[in-house]
Amino acid sequence: MDKPHKPHFIRACTYIWLALIILTCITYAIGETGWSGTAVMLTVLGTAVIKVEMVASYFMGLRRTRWLWRGIVLGWLILVSGLITIAYFKSLG
Amino acid sequence: MINNPKVTHEIHATPPGDLAIWVFIFAELLAFGVFFVAYAFARANNVELFNESQQHLNRTSGAINTLVLITSSYFMVRAVAAIKQGLSKPCALWIASAIGLGFVFLAIKIAEFQATFAAGISLSTNTFYMFYLSLTLFHFMHVILGMVILAAIMLKALRGGYSAENHIGVETGASYWHMVDLLWIILFPLVYVIR
Amino acid sequence: MQYQSQAVAKPYFIAAIGLFVGQILFGLIMGYQYVVGDFLFPEIPFNVARMVHTNLLIVWLLFGFMGATHYLIPEEAETELFSPKLGLITFWVFLVAGALTIVGYLMVPYATLAAMTGNDLLPTMGREFLEQPLITKVGIVIVVLTFLFNISMTVLKGRKTSISLVLLVGLWGLAIFFLFSFYNPSNLVLDKYFWWWTVHLWVEGVWELILGAMLAFVLIKVTGVDREVIEKWLYVIIAMTLITGIIGTGHHYFWIGTPEYWQWFGSVFSALEPIPFFMMTVFAFNMVNRRRREHPNKAATLWALGTGVMAFLGAGVWGFLHTLAPVNFFTHGTQITAAHGHMAFYGAYVMVNLAMISYAMPMMRGRTANSAAAQTMEMWSFWLMTVSIVFITLFLTAAGILQVWLQRMGTTPMSFMAAQDQIMVFYWLREITGFVFLLGLVLYIWSFFCKKGEAQTAA
Repeated sequence: MDKPHKPHFIRACTYIWLALIILTCITYAIGETGWSGTAVMLTVLGTAVIKVEMVASYFMGLRRTRWLWRGIVLGWLILVSGLITIAYFKSLG
Repeated sequence: MINNPKVTHEIHATPPGDLAIWVFIFAELLAFGVFFVAYAFARANNVELFNESQQHLNRTSGAINTLVLITSSYFMVRAVAAIKQGLSKPCALWIASAIGLGFVFLAIKIAEFQATFAAGISLSTNTFYMFYLSLTLFHFMHVILGMVILAAIMLKALRGGYSAENHIGVETGASYWHMVDLLWIILFPLVYVIR
Repeated sequence: MQYQSQAVAKPYFIAAIGLFVGQILFGLIMGYQYVVGDFLFPEIPFNVARMVHTNLLIVWLLFGFMGATHYLIPEEAETELFSPKLGLITFWVFLVAGALTIVGYLMVPYATLAAMTGNDLLPTMGREFLEQPLITKVGIVIVVLTFLFNISMTVLKGRKTSISLVLLVGLWGLAIFFLFSFYNPSNLVLDKYFWWWTVHLWVEGVWELILGAMLAFVLIKVTGVDREVIEKWLYVIIAMTLITGIIGTGHHYFWIGTPEYWQWFGSVFSALEPIPFFMMTVFAFNMVNRRRREHPNKAATLWALGTGVMAFLGAGVWGFLHTLAPVNFFTHGTQITAAHGHMAFYGAYVMVNLAMISYAMPMMRGRTANSAAAQTMEMWSFWLMTVSIVFITLFLTAAGILQVWLQRMGTTPMSFMAAQDQIMVFYWLREITGFVFLLGLVLYIWSFFCKKGEAQTAA
């Protein structure tokens, strides 16, 4: 029997892994500088949102499924990050 | 038919793994989501307390743990890829590596908890620590549960229980493990970094 | 009926229905005492009527669960019961012990009963729902352990299915958590804290496993849907139930002296408790829509569907209504709780027992289903009881909202008794609706004796 091809999502996922590592380091660096403020907060949260989408789409493979499934996770992500942002602005008074 | 490279471009009706695990994953996302939002609003009412207490967290161990989980998650991607080629042994090896990193995560986390409890901090210290401890403890339990699931799958893979045609079990475990990673990706910046 | 020993279930079911009647009669007495305070005083004081009402409920539900277990385990395990005789012995011991306890409640003052039954040795009495004298509690433990031994042995020697596994876990959990009824710390906060380990972990934990297993069994039988599909759903529902239910215990720990973090734990997790109930409703309707056969027992199918819907409404929606800590700050221990309690117990546990009885009783009487006339009568009883419990719940909810408003809000809140006077009209309406419920119950029992039409016999 022929050997099945190596699934070609591996390469994409390796790049995604690398990107996730870099983004994590950026978040950590921002944390270490002790910066605060709206722009910093939005950057950090935005980074997290992008990372979650990467994991959901590539690692979890949702980009190869019907939009319904992707939409549930994306909708959840937008809702949660949106409410976190609202709470942050509320904290500024 | 497996040789057809187009196979991977296909749009699937359901996400990878058993649909039941996805019902479970969505419920978990909902539970954590509610907790994340509750944290954010509790913080809005106690900004100073939260910012002050957050200073005492060990951001470095939190960041290392993020890297550990992301890498572990990536190993599960490789495990699924391996079994899709019918390679049981490499699949089991990738899963074993993912579990190994799971232990690293737990060890770092335990050290962090130990330092926290040694400082006399408990759930009742203040609202920030209540959230910090319960969110991370709750996530900690999920890491353990994920590792148990992965271990069961690894043993079955070692026995040759999966094949290129039948590997839904591996995908089920991988999906759950990715969720554990996904939640930590939000938890870390939310609790350790954002101020 | 495939196995002879399944017939052991019959006396359990008959006793369950008999005690159900008793529960409703005492409910009516108590409902009347709400509006005419000295009714039947001093023969049956309010606290005694309440104790009998709630204790009968628990005991008859247990009889129902045990009957259901004796019926479904042989069929699932594909073997006769380990010992049918033991099954009958536990029945009689449980029935006599239960009856003596109720007689004790009614004949002597509670404090005298406590003194008579050795409460001094190990004080366990005087706590809501766990009022039983020490000897009754010990008796319950012996009965349940004997029963569990019999059932576990049956499962061990036969086929092991997911349904019997879930049912066994639920029943063992029931036995284990009952042990907390023997633990009675003198610190009032700790007392309540562990009291919920029996009460909450029963009705929002292990009982739900029993409920899930019973419902799955009835659905497999009446729809003919593949076992695999039903079992997968069962597992997902059970997992969700346990995750939300166990930490959800925290919703009882608001404002009673426990640490503050329970407000967060309790609010978040119990807010998710409706999910498994919602899944159960979707599950029941889904399975009936995908049915592979037309089972002649339409009444049993109706009860099974009703269980899903009413459990979701009563336990899920009415529970959620007052489960968030800031809401519960106002509603703690008001008529809102009573409203939720009535619909949740009816929707989840009463209905699943009636579904099981409705399915199994004709089988045990040698037919697949009752005659069309009997089934029509039973469906009438379904609607009478269900609609009246909905109205009882609505009236109590209205009473509760008004009570919170008058007694706990505003700058000059009313005293408890003054507020009670204001909501009297809802208590009257509730009592009248209670009689409609009794009518439904009478019709339900009557349907067993309906001779009209031809029963459908097994092919």
